[in-house]
Amino acid sequence: MLKFSRTKWVGIERPAKNVFLIHGTLEDHIYGLELDLTVKAPELTILNIEGKMRRITTSECAKAIPVLKKAIGLCLTAPDFSRQVNKIIGQKGCRHFANLLLECTDAVFRCALYETWEYLQKEGALTEDNFRQEVLGNLPFLKESCFAFTD
Amino acid sequence: MILNYVRNKHVYTTEPKNNLLLVCAASEETFFSARVEVTVKLPDLEVVEILGKIKRSPFTRCQEAVSMLPQAMGLRIGPGIIKLVHNLVGGTKGCPPLANLVLECTDAVILHFTTEPLKEILKKEGEEQIVAYQEFLRQNPRLFNSCVAFTPDSPLTKGIKEEL
Repeated sequence: MLKFSRTKWVGIERPAKNVFLIHGTLEDHIYGLELDLTVKAPELTILNIEGKMRRITTSECAKAIPVLKKAIGLCLTAPDFSRQVNKIIGQKGCRHFANLLLECTDAVFRCALYETWEYLQKEGALTEDNFRQEVLGNLPFLKESCFAFTD
Repeated sequence: MILNYVRNKHVYTTEPKNNLLLVCAASEETFFSARVEVTVKLPDLEVVEILGKIKRSPFTRCQEAVSMLPQAMGLRIGPGIIKLVHNLVGGTKGCPPLANLVLECTDAVILHFTTEPLKEILKKEGEEQIVAYQEFLRQNPRLFNSCVAFTPDSPLTKGIKEEL
């Protein structure tokens, strides 16, 4: 029988070319959390963040909601972004909010990758080599992010 | 507005059998789809089997990352595992999304063992619940100062700081 389950869902809207609107949810046996995030492109900095706690375990947990505002201004491409989120939002607030925030921001990179893929496909120029070159041109911070983007 | 991108990630544990705990994590997203299954030996929380599959990915060579998974066998879930999994499966020479699914599994193992004690604590109220949380922290000292609820100033950690 299933003993523990966690589902994280992230959806990204693009109301304008310079904005990512991200909604993320985390539901597991213990916690129920939601985040709404605005990220500015092309800088990829956090413009706004709102959070809700639907299910929590202690009377102190709600104090983590105002802590979320400390994420405003953080840049997703900073080399220590994950560490900052874990320290500022996680340790000083809620580790599960930090987990969901990193899920949301990682999905922004994936969204940007997918948009490049979609563009090349529409142009009829989609090959793996073209895609790789286009990504490294448009999103240089992804260079050496995994073995597909490492020389 | 129509979504430009979607990610749906699910991780679960099942009831242990023969001191083996099975954890499965899957991510379904617009641009990527993968699944990882980890078997953990109890009570030492050692990874004894790890399987994975990448079903959709942007590059053909992404499939090669699956062969890195067995390198995580023998690891014990505990301090240092995040760095080890990133080095063995993720990083510049691996596949970070696949490493991330392995870490979702290891996180779920910890949460699997946290659910029952929390359920018991939440049955209590007021001062009784605070005392139960303090005992929980004595048994899990790494949680002290790990979040706003367990800061040194929190009523839930009263008297704990001196003991740890």
